[in-house]
Amino acid sequence: MSSTKAARIGEEVWKTRIDKVNAELVTLTYGSIVAQLCKDFEGDYMEVNKQLDKMGYNIGLRLIEDFLAKTNTGRCANFRETAETISKIGFKVFLNITPTVTNWTSDNKQFSLIFDENPLADFVELPDDGRAQNELWYSNILCGVLRGALEMVQMQVDAHFASDVLRGNDTTEMRVTLIRMIDDELPPGDD
Amino acid sequence: MPIYSFYIFDRHCECIYVKQWLERERERSSFRPQTANSTISSPATLSEKRVSTPIDAPTNARPPHGRLSVQDDAKLVFGVVFSLRNMVRKLSGPDDNFISYRTSSYKLHYYETPTNLKFVMLTDIRMDNLRVALHQIYINLYVEFVTKNPLSPVEHKGGEGVACELFELGLERFVQTIQDV
Repeated sequence: MSSTKAARIGEEVWKTRIDKVNAELVTLTYGSIVAQLCKDFEGDYMEVNKQLDKMGYNIGLRLIEDFLAKTNTGRCANFRETAETISKIGFKVFLNITPTVTNWTSDNKQFSLIFDENPLADFVELPDDGRAQNELWYSNILCGVLRGALEMVQMQVDAHFASDVLRGNDTTEMRVTLIRMIDDELPPGDD
Repeated sequence: MPIYSFYIFDRHCECIYVKQWLERERERSSFRPQTANSTISSPATLSEKRVSTPIDAPTNARPPHGRLSVQDDAKLVFGVVFSLRNMVRKLSGPDDNFISYRTSSYKLHYYETPTNLKFVMLTDIRMDNLRVALHQIYINLYVEFVTKNPLSPVEHKGGEGVACELFELGLERFVQTIQDV
């Protein structure tokens, strides 16, 4: 699937098949989750990152079914196509953004998503405790979502943020790496 | 046209949902000339209208089969679609899949999602292709009532969380519309 075709599908589905919800509601709901986690883990931001990733993973496992049902896309032929589909269709229909796909490695197994906008992080300023700026990946739930969703379509990936404008970086960048294709499970032998 | 049964298998090769419409089966059987082995004439095995998944329930009145439990039936169906699917993919590439097959007494319709959920329906041989219908069941019933139910588990081990009321009602209604066509 070409990039333009993916963009067209994303636009089409977003316009016709998606129930819209107030963006601030999403931003504030997500913000209160992160704030609560920071409180619960007493500022252990590494643990907060991990929890966000886990929550995202559980969302991703379900979200992929909704994605497939709404967009009616088939299996991607290669990882490049997967990247386009994630950006132009996945992020488009669920968050109405299309992060830029870039920085491919030569083996076509690693790419970056550059977020020009990020509805989760509107209004956000990281706490000024000298650590959050270096340790907290505020939008880490998105990494989990990708990991969970791709696992369901037989791709084991690693996803993590490499930079975040909230930390004072120039861009918000997520790095996605294909680890392996998951083989179909075989039925247990008759005993 | 009668629909005999419906199965869903998950990506762990486990049968997570079975529905059998036994009354229909009996109607069908009565059209056929009686064979020597007439399991269908035994009223005890057919008094139940429909069975969801009780163990040891007599299921198919198909004479050559004798009596298999619902689980055994599901295992056989899975074995068939799994092998057939793999064979098709070996022959003509990973994107191909079989759509249905029929025998002299039933037709099996198949739909698989990219997440490896397999939907299988057994119907009368005259039934038109049900691939679209199975796809509808996936997007309108399974995703809406099972996947999106926040309290249902993500993985449906032992079928947990699939047979919820909304899904059952929706399926019953949908199957009715297909049969009445």
